[in-house]
Amino acid sequence: MIYEATVDGHTVRAEVRAGPGEGRYTVRIDGRPLEVDVRDAGPHTMSVIACGHAQEVFLEPREGGYRVLLRGRVLDVGLVEAARGAGTARGAAGGPARVQAPMPGKLVRVLVRAGQDVGAGQGLVVMEAMKMENEIRAPRAGRVKEAPVQEGQAVETGALLVLLE
Amino acid sequence: MSSFRRILIANRGEIAVRIARACRELDIASVAVYSEADRAALHVRMADEAFAIGPAPSRESYLRIDRILEVARRSGADAVHPGYGFLAENAAFARACEEAGIVFIGPRSETIALMGEKTSARRLAVEAGVPVVPGTLAPLDDLELLRGEAERIGLPVMIKAAAGGGGKGLRLVHDASLLAAAAERARSEALSAFGDGRLYLEKALLRPHHIEIQVLADHHGHTVHVFERECSIQRRHQKVIEESPSPFVAPELREHMGALAVALAERAGYRNAGTLEFLVDAAGHPYFLEMNTRLQVEHPVTEMVTGLDLVKLQIRIAQGEPLPFAQADLRQRGHAVECRVYAEDPAQGFLPSPGRIVALRPPAGPGLRDDSGVYEGGEVPIHYDPLISKLVAWGTDRAEALARMRRAVSEYAVLGITTTLPFFERVLRHPAFVAGDIDTGFIERHLGELCAAPSDEDRDMAVVAAAVRALRDRQSARAQGPVPAGATSAWRARVWRDLGPAR
Repeated sequence: MIYEATVDGHTVRAEVRAGPGEGRYTVRIDGRPLEVDVRDAGPHTMSVIACGHAQEVFLEPREGGYRVLLRGRVLDVGLVEAARGAGTARGAAGGPARVQAPMPGKLVRVLVRAGQDVGAGQGLVVMEAMKMENEIRAPRAGRVKEAPVQEGQAVETGALLVLLE
Repeated sequence: MSSFRRILIANRGEIAVRIARACRELDIASVAVYSEADRAALHVRMADEAFAIGPAPSRESYLRIDRILEVARRSGADAVHPGYGFLAENAAFARACEEAGIVFIGPRSETIALMGEKTSARRLAVEAGVPVVPGTLAPLDDLELLRGEAERIGLPVMIKAAAGGGGKGLRLVHDASLLAAAAERARSEALSAFGDGRLYLEKALLRPHHIEIQVLADHHGHTVHVFERECSIQRRHQKVIEESPSPFVAPELREHMGALAVALAERAGYRNAGTLEFLVDAAGHPYFLEMNTRLQVEHPVTEMVTGLDLVKLQIRIAQGEPLPFAQADLRQRGHAVECRVYAEDPAQGFLPSPGRIVALRPPAGPGLRDDSGVYEGGEVPIHYDPLISKLVAWGTDRAEALARMRRAVSEYAVLGITTTLPFFERVLRHPAFVAGDIDTGFIERHLGELCAAPSDEDRDMAVVAAAVRALRDRQSARAQGPVPAGATSAWRARVWRDLGPAR
């Protein structure tokens, strides 16, 4: 299998081939080969040995990839099968920006209204979650196209708070 | 003097678990209370008895004095331990317990009222000859007054909630034009957290240390201090890493601050466990900040270096027993550090990250303690404080304690929610932190480095692991045909095949 793997903004080509031998794989990262020996150690845990280096890895399937935990460090890996991934747009730059609720919570205040110009970092709404008030800020400067929310309203993760154009 | 038979724990999460453990060691039955969101919570599983007290929002459950007292009566509890947060510093709750003939494990209600109102505590400190941070000695209701006082004290100022604590209703203001907006936010937060929106001002000190002194006072006129805790590593004015002893505090300063703390506690007629918070400026001058009339989240670091069990001592004091030691008997041994594991995402400004814990593997081995309130498969609800565990490491000296903590953090695996653990991994390795060069601005100042990009080796390993996992999942899915709903990996699919579906 060939994947386009994205970690922290870097995309590499990862080719993974099984065998020979149980639990053995060859992974080529942008052509560099790495031989690894892998055993499952539970539903979310693998023991990986690569050239003698042992690593305990915790993995959680997430939308479009995995969250990987390496000795206390967290990395989110996006995986796209290369055949299918070819030509996939990366999200149009300069298009409208959707500001979404990063967590479920209650909207304490809506600080902007449609038609208003906002600067990068300007507060858009104030959400209350887990007893704290959190200000959600504009990711970039722009004009508020829509703010389809009301004060006092409860929102779920991912709910559209403000649409910037 | 009478022994308690049954203690109601008016709290949830890791602190409720901590108190239930103390009760079990003392052979006292523990009574849990829980909201609708917490029926399956760990603190309910750990208790001897458990009673529902209402819907998920804390206003309708953990803050309902009437329902909690009703459970106390129904269960026959002779005492209530409030933990921290919720009703722990609510004088009306303590008074209601007193009136119902149930022992409130903490100070008397009038002491809570006196020290809980931050400006009256400041006035008492001035009377006791304890230096305070320059600022207002009475709460200010009016924005114009606030503006005038800010001008008098001089910027930067800290806006604080008169009824405050736990970083709620707290705003640092550098610029006069931002005062009004900050005051409004602080007022609204204070109102929702404490039901009291009154504010006061303090001068913001430059790069201060946040150092606190633990005190214990019995009902027989004995008050001791149990040394200091260094709590300078904070985000959003909430502590995230604490240690004892403080790398900043020399023996003379320790003795001086201890004496100030005991003097003020005695002046307040204090009973049970309490903590006096001080800001210490770069020159080593301590200023009294406020008193917390309850157990602190960071109490385990004191327990680790003194060998005391503060929760059991609280219970014994409340039973009327005298303190079993004098000041001269107390010693600090070694060094302890605590990391507060929060369900929060540091990369997104420490936004809460509630959800289901998919995998959990806490650390083990020498010198560690994990005071957790969660379990694998359990839910971290949105409604409450996002603290899921307190991880504590002890060593013979600071270097060993930090090395143990780094090792512990590397073993601590939590999946399903985002936690502050990876952030701690970086803080614990940061040269300034390792050198003990810390003040309350540490995280803000070093945030860029603390959220730095992963190393090339880690990136490669993560890609290798994810690619192999994806291939294995794909192959076993093909080998076994349709994967049963809910199975997320080859391992689960195999278990399902071997064992058959759950009956």
